[in-house]
Amino acid sequence: MSRIIAIAIKDIRILSRDFGGMFFVLIFPLIMALLFGAIFGGSGSGRSKGMKIAIPIEQTSAEKAFYDQLSKADVLQISSMPTDSARALVSAGKMVAFVKYTDTSDASLSFFGGTRPAIDVWIDPTRKAEAGYLNGLINQAYFTVVQSRMMDVTNMQASLKTQIATIDTSSLLTPDERLRTKSMLTEFNEFLGSIQATDSAFDARNDTAGVAGSEGNTDSEDYSPFRPPTVNFEEATVTSKGPRTSWEITFPQSVQWGLVGVAAAFAVSLVIERTRGTYLRLRLAPISRAHILAGKGLACFLASVTVCTVLMMIGIFVFGVRVEWPLGLVLAILSAGICFTGIMMLISVIGETEQSVGGAGWAIFLIMAMTGGGMVPLLMMPNWMLAVGAFSPIRWSITALEGAIWRGFTPAQMATPLGILVGTGLVCFTLGVFILARRES
Amino acid sequence: MIQVRNLRKHFGDLVAVDDVSLEIQDGEAFGLLGPNGAGKTTTISMIVGTLSPDSGTVTIDGVDDPTRPALRYRIGNAPQALAIYDDLTAEENLRFFGKLYNLSGSRLSEQVDSVLETIGLTERRKDRVKTFSGGMQRRLNLGCAIIHDPPLLLFDEPTVGVDPQSRNLIFEKIEQLKKRGRTIIYTTHYMEEAQRLCDRVAIIDHGRILALDSVKALIAQHGGKAVVAADLNAIPEDSSALPAPLDGDHLRFETNRPMEDIATLARSGLDFRTLSIDQPDLESVFLNLTGRRLRD
Repeated sequence: MSRIIAIAIKDIRILSRDFGGMFFVLIFPLIMALLFGAIFGGSGSGRSKGMKIAIPIEQTSAEKAFYDQLSKADVLQISSMPTDSARALVSAGKMVAFVKYTDTSDASLSFFGGTRPAIDVWIDPTRKAEAGYLNGLINQAYFTVVQSRMMDVTNMQASLKTQIATIDTSSLLTPDERLRTKSMLTEFNEFLGSIQATDSAFDARNDTAGVAGSEGNTDSEDYSPFRPPTVNFEEATVTSKGPRTSWEITFPQSVQWGLVGVAAAFAVSLVIERTRGTYLRLRLAPISRAHILAGKGLACFLASVTVCTVLMMIGIFVFGVRVEWPLGLVLAILSAGICFTGIMMLISVIGETEQSVGGAGWAIFLIMAMTGGGMVPLLMMPNWMLAVGAFSPIRWSITALEGAIWRGFTPAQMATPLGILVGTGLVCFTLGVFILARRES
Repeated sequence: MIQVRNLRKHFGDLVAVDDVSLEIQDGEAFGLLGPNGAGKTTTISMIVGTLSPDSGTVTIDGVDDPTRPALRYRIGNAPQALAIYDDLTAEENLRFFGKLYNLSGSRLSEQVDSVLETIGLTERRKDRVKTFSGGMQRRLNLGCAIIHDPPLLLFDEPTVGVDPQSRNLIFEKIEQLKKRGRTIIYTTHYMEEAQRLCDRVAIIDHGRILALDSVKALIAQHGGKAVVAADLNAIPEDSSALPAPLDGDHLRFETNRPMEDIATLARSGLDFRTLSIDQPDLESVFLNLTGRRLRD
């Protein structure tokens, strides 16, 4: 076993030092994922137009002011809808979040007091990056509305009047603080009145910058010093059975290109061993042909699994790909690794030279990718192409990965693609070894 | 001891090895001398078991299956093609092949250090092979064959395509191995290498062994006579006593006893301006046996 491992380590070391090989194994698949992900719509991340947000249909004037301000953010696509519908869409992955401004008091937008505003956000738990960005946008919108209200002297005076009235009953202030605060707000109110009386231009400006729905608040409220709004994020229970982002389609595809890159690299390396004499030296060592090929297969398998894992990790942690069934994903990756290791073995014996194996290998892999969903997503394939793709291992590899990621496969449903992948791998490997042994004899 | 009996191998219509039989004693340096395509590498491949013969047998130390692992530990092979990994360093290559022969730990490290020293690559041990010159790669190719210190070594054209300096170094190392009692099978088409190293040589052409004996015996049997050539300062009045007719002042004749004949001519008063003796060698043997030169 130690000699099989030595062969595997040697092969992985050689692959890792081959820049061209590593490009096709890791960089090229990543480029494919990003390129097609962008083409098919991306994740709706905060940096692109298309972060879909739902808001309630029922809105008070104060809420409407806030929502209007929020909708000015270029990155948001805001739709108003009933609460139930909005929550369902978030759960289905069709919307990033449902934002509900829960404090309907107009006075909440007062700079000097009022009830601390709270905003509830019903969000997809996998949208961590969007959540942070959305929080910033909500705060920005809120303060912009507050600022606008402060420019409306009439409303400001009305709001001050309300606040002055609540100071006497405030339990948060000491008697001395009540006196000082009341004095300050009264003087400020008088100051605003003097400006309004003498500066018509100020009024005109206020008229154009006025905020709808700011009619002041006459309700008796406890005084509270200024505080930012509380934004409550609540994670939605995801019920989606479809891909919520294009990344959930393109990363399983990119994994296929990684597998193809690994298999092609190892198939060619096996030919290089034969043509350059190192295979002869290996055959002269006190190990059997089975040891040599097992070492080569182990290296290919480990490299395949590593590449799949790295690509999926990038998809999960950077692009928010959600994995519904982690164990299923592990099984899918292992099965795909076995499958492509077997295919590598078979392809390595279809030619005698690096050029013939490299060329024919990539041609075969391209056909597999075209028919199996490596280029066109399975979701977009016509039925006849899906039928043809049933003969492509890439089709089953994508199906298995998608089954674990978003298709919601049960173990029984997963058994079919996994069985086909493992079976294909074993048959191809056996066939490749048989051809090689026959050729050597 | 290696015993090869009636070995035969053909590829399609081409008979690569045709009824080859030979015996090689322990500690002997045995040469397979022949032009490119003569069947040397095919013979070696069948001896070490990487190629199955169509017929015939190979027995090494009493074992008639050279593919048996126990026997593989006793064999080191430096193939004609460079059987090393370009993207690994010299040390990594040696370590990898050492591990295949179950070397590990301090024993492996000692062997790696020793072999690197032997092949003169200690200073470049951490460099990747792709940065090496052709000669250095050849030396590493040899090093990988001796990493497990086997008693039987096969060198298939080990000095092909290398500079004279590396060629000398490789040759010196092989001579050292011979002095240490290793059994060596050496294939080459450089007759001077076979003549210098090998105790016995088989002349092989078109898959057949044409002659097999010690270098001295082969030359004696098939090398022909030595050729003496001389330019004379003065042409003798009576040239009938000379061993060959003169061409102007130039004398050229063949003899089995060149030194004695030259001494006789000198005593008779012949005054030489230039003198050369062309002794027969393995090239002459091959030429006489096949009518062709080794490098034709």
